[in-house]
Amino acid sequence: MYCYVYDEFLQDRRYERDLSLIETRLTDLGIAGKIARLALFRDSHELIRDEIRNGATTIVAVGNDRTLRRALDAVGDTKTVVALLPVGPQGVLAGLLGMPVGVLSCDVLSARIIEELDCGEVNGRRFVQSVRSEDASFVARTKNYTLTPLKKSSFEVRNLAEPDDAGTQSPVDGRLSLIIRSTRFGLLGKRQDVSIVPFQEMMVLFEKMTEVMVDGESLPGKDFAFRVIPKALRLVTGRTRKF
Amino acid sequence: MAKGNGGETIIAHGVRLEGEMAAEGDLVIEGEVHGNIKTTGDLRVGENALVEADVEAENAVIAGEIRGNIKIRGKLELFPSSTLTGDVVTDVLAIGPGAQVNGKITMGSAVATRASRKSEEAE
Repeated sequence: MYCYVYDEFLQDRRYERDLSLIETRLTDLGIAGKIARLALFRDSHELIRDEIRNGATTIVAVGNDRTLRRALDAVGDTKTVVALLPVGPQGVLAGLLGMPVGVLSCDVLSARIIEELDCGEVNGRRFVQSVRSEDASFVARTKNYTLTPLKKSSFEVRNLAEPDDAGTQSPVDGRLSLIIRSTRFGLLGKRQDVSIVPFQEMMVLFEKMTEVMVDGESLPGKDFAFRVIPKALRLVTGRTRKF
Repeated sequence: MAKGNGGETIIAHGVRLEGEMAAEGDLVIEGEVHGNIKTTGDLRVGENALVEADVEAENAVIAGEIRGNIKIRGKLELFPSSTLTGDVVTDVLAIGPGAQVNGKITMGSAVATRASRKSEEAE
């Protein structure tokens, strides 16, 4: 049974037409379901958990990256399938998961290609995409080795992200990737050195109190314990997914 | 400058690794390594890299400095800028003009496989 969780911003009249087209298409495809609307003073976790208790087997986050993250947080360890139906301005997750914006994603949803993705965890907080910090002094430690950047560097622990100078990391390989970037100045100008180290568990210890961004939300601290939770997320994806 | 290529481990210039690393897939070292490194894939050591470690890989291309014993199951290629101090066990060896090797070299596929199995059993 499908449950469609509409983000608050979709109450704006400019999305009426898109939502109407989507609802019609979902009915045509035979995958219409209950609609639940997120609201400012309503606990999204409780709302979604209630729907799961009432028999929802697929939670469809209708909105953007933030909507999907809230749905994934609420679903937690229940192994309920989650999907993103992108409406309105988007971040990166729609493209990464191969979900087109608007009514076209209904057909992708109907095809129901489910991938089991890894999830990252930092100091007990889960993340889908990445954890980043600005240039700082830190040390990364696993039970077998220690990595020390010899000067201030930026760090990123990545699970799922757009391909860039650090290449493509797979969110289904049971590992996270530590990416260390530092800038070097030479005769030919500035160049960036990128280290990439896959791992399952790691501590990152900063010299000073730092704020890291966990999927865009701030988390202050000095010591950060990372681990991967393999196959923690069951997500509907499209054929154009980028992993 | 090494660029990520899905599944690779890269220790770039300006990063030091201390301890034992067992990588899956290819391993590229352009920084410093002190300890032991092992990979199921290929190893590439850049011209400015310093490796003070025992090394084990499927194939290897070395352009920098290694102080330690090297076990390569396939082909070991030493660039002219490379310096090796330690014993080498490999199946196939190519040494560029100017490369420096100070240690015992043992070659042949049977020897390279035996040496690899011995180190697995020791673990």
